[in-house]
Amino acid sequence: MRMAALASAAERAVLEEEFKWLLQEEVHAVLRQLQDILKEASHRFALPVSGSEGPIKQENFILGTANADQVKGVLMLQGDTLCQADINLKMPRNNQLLHFAFRDDKQWKLQQIQDARNHVNQAIYLLTNRGTNYQFKTGCEVLKLMDAVMLQLTRARNRLTTPATLTLPEIASSSLTKMFTPALPSDTLMNFYINLNKLCLTVYQLHSLQPSSTKNFRPAGGSILHNPGAMFEYGNQRYEVSHVHKVECVVPWLNDALVFFTVSLQLCQQLKDKIAVFSGYWNYRLY
Amino acid sequence: MKASIQAVTLWGKHSPTHSISAILITEDQRTIVTGSQEGTLCLWNLSPELKISSKQILLGHTASVTCLAKARDFEKQPYVASATENGEMCIWNVTSGQCVEYTQLPFRHTAICYYHSSFRMTGDGWLLCCGQYNDVLLIDAKTLTVLHALTSSQSSNWISCMCLVHSPRIQEDSLIAVSASGDLKVWDLSSSVSRIQEKQCVAERESKSLGCASCHTVRFCTYTGRLLLVVLPSCWKVYDYCDFSLLWTESSPSGQYWAGGEVLAAHRLVLWTEAGQGYIYQLLNSGLSWSKQPSDGRVLKETVYPVLLCSTAVGCNKSFSYVMGFMNERKEPFYKILYSGDASGRITVWHIPDVPVSTLDGSPKEIPIAASWTLQDHFDAHGSVAEGILGHLCVAGQGGSCALSISIYIPSLDKLVCGCEDGRVFIVPALQALKTRLLEDTSLLKDTLPHRILTGHSSRVTALLYLRGWSARFDPSWLVSGSQDSYVIWWDMFTGEILHQFSLQAGPVTDLLLSSDNYRFKGQRIVCCLCSDHSVALLHLQERACILHARKHLFPVRMLRWHPLENLLIVLCENDSVSVWDIETGILERHETGEVAKAVLAGCEDSPLSMEDSLLPIFEDDAHKQRGAGGPPSSSSKLGPLSYSTLAHHKKSSCRLSSICSAQWPFTILPVKTEWENRNFHILLFDLENLTELLLSSQLGGLKSSNSLHSYDALERARSSAEKGTLLLRRNKTAGTLSLFHGPGEEHSFGDSPVAAAGCLEQSGGLKRQKKAKSSKKTKRQLSGKVNVNLVTGAANLLLTCLWPWGVDRESDHLCVQYLGISRLLWPVSFGLVSEEKHFSLMLPGWSHANSALWDQHNQPVNMFSSKVLDLRNKYLSVAKEPAGKPGGRSKNTGAPEGPPTLISLLNRICLVKKIISMPLERSTPQKVESVRNKWRANQAVESTSFYEESSEGTFGVPVHDSENVSLVKLISCWRDQSIELQPLWSSVTALCPLKTSLQERVRLSRTSWKSQITEMRRSHILGWPRCVPVKCVSRQYSFSSKTRR
Repeated sequence: MRMAALASAAERAVLEEEFKWLLQEEVHAVLRQLQDILKEASHRFALPVSGSEGPIKQENFILGTANADQVKGVLMLQGDTLCQADINLKMPRNNQLLHFAFRDDKQWKLQQIQDARNHVNQAIYLLTNRGTNYQFKTGCEVLKLMDAVMLQLTRARNRLTTPATLTLPEIASSSLTKMFTPALPSDTLMNFYINLNKLCLTVYQLHSLQPSSTKNFRPAGGSILHNPGAMFEYGNQRYEVSHVHKVECVVPWLNDALVFFTVSLQLCQQLKDKIAVFSGYWNYRLY
Repeated sequence: MKASIQAVTLWGKHSPTHSISAILITEDQRTIVTGSQEGTLCLWNLSPELKISSKQILLGHTASVTCLAKARDFEKQPYVASATENGEMCIWNVTSGQCVEYTQLPFRHTAICYYHSSFRMTGDGWLLCCGQYNDVLLIDAKTLTVLHALTSSQSSNWISCMCLVHSPRIQEDSLIAVSASGDLKVWDLSSSVSRIQEKQCVAERESKSLGCASCHTVRFCTYTGRLLLVVLPSCWKVYDYCDFSLLWTESSPSGQYWAGGEVLAAHRLVLWTEAGQGYIYQLLNSGLSWSKQPSDGRVLKETVYPVLLCSTAVGCNKSFSYVMGFMNERKEPFYKILYSGDASGRITVWHIPDVPVSTLDGSPKEIPIAASWTLQDHFDAHGSVAEGILGHLCVAGQGGSCALSISIYIPSLDKLVCGCEDGRVFIVPALQALKTRLLEDTSLLKDTLPHRILTGHSSRVTALLYLRGWSARFDPSWLVSGSQDSYVIWWDMFTGEILHQFSLQAGPVTDLLLSSDNYRFKGQRIVCCLCSDHSVALLHLQERACILHARKHLFPVRMLRWHPLENLLIVLCENDSVSVWDIETGILERHETGEVAKAVLAGCEDSPLSMEDSLLPIFEDDAHKQRGAGGPPSSSSKLGPLSYSTLAHHKKSSCRLSSICSAQWPFTILPVKTEWENRNFHILLFDLENLTELLLSSQLGGLKSSNSLHSYDALERARSSAEKGTLLLRRNKTAGTLSLFHGPGEEHSFGDSPVAAAGCLEQSGGLKRQKKAKSSKKTKRQLSGKVNVNLVTGAANLLLTCLWPWGVDRESDHLCVQYLGISRLLWPVSFGLVSEEKHFSLMLPGWSHANSALWDQHNQPVNMFSSKVLDLRNKYLSVAKEPAGKPGGRSKNTGAPEGPPTLISLLNRICLVKKIISMPLERSTPQKVESVRNKWRANQAVESTSFYEESSEGTFGVPVHDSENVSLVKLISCWRDQSIELQPLWSSVTALCPLKTSLQERVRLSRTSWKSQITEMRRSHILGWPRCVPVKCVSRQYSFSSKTRR
């Protein structure tokens, strides 16, 4: 077990040979594999790189839940932008059916997708600089490269897995509320976000609190999804959330992308572990 | 961080790692600033002859530095802003090394431009920042708060590069930026200043797609006012700024990638590659071209084509990931400098000729390297000065060299425990080790430094844990160490015996932790051992058993949590997945990722998760890291050593200064370790206020038990050890298994053990034992009090020695050695400067060589900070106009027993000066100086009455001291206004202290009157604090004292 101290000279020579192989062959093999995976992931995002790839594919997603039909939405996603939206809302009070759509001149960008895509591109860029003809001289260099790549990949993944936590006034003041035709009633708020592989739409029904109301007013903090009963103040008027509807739809390519992130993160970590094994045999400075 | 802390650095033979990730030359071309992946900044002097020497290392960031930029008009204030990967931003004064402002925002910046328009805006200007967020943020350069944002009206995206352009024609400043998707955007700045101040939306003036993603640099040629240089990895392009038409595309040399570029002169460009090579191109005008685009039908265009004029020479030390920059001359004596820094920490500088030309045959000419330097070069050059804390032990012939791999300081025992590369563990009394290391002192022969070597490991020691430092329930002699070959040994430090040895077979041990306070397994807190195969082993020391070895983790462990009720261990890995282990059965109960993982974490004890909900998600992963850092130590943190950073911040981690509880101890050694390479150094922290306070109380302590701090912890110690004794007894009764406990370690915890006093080398260890051997609480307290007094005076002596300006005044030097019991320094020490919020700036070894030629002249240790010290001292003497005459004449009367009081007064003086200096500089603007002075005079009244008033009827002494102090304060605030470097001040004031001494001796007091006076001093001293200490400090101090009282 006490290998480091007792390793014989021959053993050391073999180890060094093995390490050399690792740096010269194995690292590049892993990097190539990583690059392939990430390029594949990047393709999924289908954003225009330079305008040369022609029009971007548009996809329609139908958001709804199986058991309730309070909210239904048909969204058209083009890369990172929601370019069309048709939302049907059944008002809980009078069962009146309302229909909203994006105005023609408006689009809604899903910042999470754009950020994730940018992070992936940064990771790819880090890898392209270390092509097959690049000579890694030290293990430390590989570790640093892997750290940088993993940082970008973790951020890309986290961007998709953790939607912004917004406060209700933030949602109310967002330009999303002004994008619809006919205009959203003042007692309705909407929010779009990505959660893991799902495109989500939340609709909040509000009722305004009277200033004389005896209810203990406590403004809610930031959250991904607010619960009924959450209170906030917006434009000198106090509101309380009466109903929350959340509908979602799986976006298949987001799922793929997340899988690619996970796989490439594991690849990176495995490469790091391989390099780290050799640290037991000689001083770090050697490699 | 208290203002009264003085830091001294003990460097090792090897420089700390500094993988440069950002580099900047200041506008005066005197200083190079580099930021590193380890999160440190380094300041380098650049001499007019283009010689580089390292000056200071700045600690404080916890993640890799992403960019540097100037943060003020440099002639007025030499400030530089730095930003890191995790959103921290700092503003540093690069002449003094102080951190001026600090913040953490949820934005990662990759580039910063400083913008100030003196006639349009008030304040100190803006930092225009871009990075991994959309568009451009405006951050106040003074307060580092986000003021506003420049937004895009269309195709909003991350900005990858930008530059400021001043157009003299239309008197407009604009910001040119290229986004991640390749859109060129232009924002007007000067005409939008008022809009920005009114928080109105500022959209871009122009936006045009260049069709090239991942752009590195965009530069505007101010000489021609037309050309726009855009650098991409694969090529660089020149555009006509008027209509954004592409003029030329030059692809990169084969196998290389462009990294950046700059406009050298009209039609002359300098470009550099990722591999650190620079190229200079001349753009030749081919006149109007008819032939190029005949079908276009547009106006005939001017076309350009480049000719390679020069390329830079590359050094023989090849490294990777270069960062480069170019500095154009500004005034006459300055140069055109191309500079680069690389991952090995090497800085290279090329001097670009004013008119670069190619060789006669047209081939590119090579520009030689003007200078090249690394931190290690610097350390090698000053090798004698830089020697590790244990250097002498190795020299003393303990068999071969032993490079330090890890160390911890145990303040309660004043012991430094060091693990070595070869598996030995040294235990040395810290103060003595420091003295032998720093002082030339014949009484402390280097060979006789009492130390103990624990032998048991056969490969590098990688982790150390002193259990008592975390929980008072453990025996003070217990130490746990882990090694490279996966062994964990439980030692009795005092006897050197191995109590048990665990073999984990899981790769090198990366860290040792203690389970959180509220998790106990069979009544004991357990030791958690993190291994490099990402497994966690839980060791129950008393049962000598490994109760759980949780393998199967795919990623390094970031955080451990406990669920005491259900007996669960929750492991958070680097990839944010969570594994839940049943400790009793060793079964992996759950493995979760994503939201569920977060919920699981939030569900377990004292999770700080809920507190960070407000953070933007973009920042989420880093928030996790922060949490991780705070995580394990906070569970039972008493004294968090630095090595914890390795757990949390696996990658960049390094010189993180986590939870320094130096407030608790007047003197602390802070081991700093960098991640990838075993390069250690130590920072000694002296808390001046605490020291003086303890010294004062120790004066009384000898006679009656006082309520001072040190006797508090003595009490605490006594109490806890008594408590522990009973606890052990109780446990023995209940468990009824005495056989388990008959290791020698256990014997010590029973007071009447005969082993106690026998055969131990260490003095204080011996004292401990004696202390334990006595059962009476009273004697315990007194004895431990004495130990503490020794420690305190020792620390105070050491500090004074470090600060004393040796060689300035031989007479006072001599006096010092004779009466104060301090001895000469072997070499000038490297000081550190502590600014608020745990920011350190550390002088590098040999920093004083540059300006102390005295070293050679006198052929003896000189602690000259600069030649200014002498000037200042003379100035002071003339101002003070002491009637006392020569200090030497007086001190002949000095009785030896007056040593400690003098020491106190010296320390007080230093304390005072330190406080004055650490007042924010801003307050001393000319208009306010007077008020500040007045204020200080007022404070001074408090100070001087509390410190120097000899007795109530001492009418003779008071006026003299008062006037002296007032003049001192005046002088200091004067110096401060002139922004002289801080260190000389220090020493000059200490140089004046002999005068002080002599004065005190003039009013000679008998021993008894001293006592009464000290009591009074202490009272007024404590009462006086709130008026002289900044509020923050006071509150911290109080909260601390309440803690100890509990």
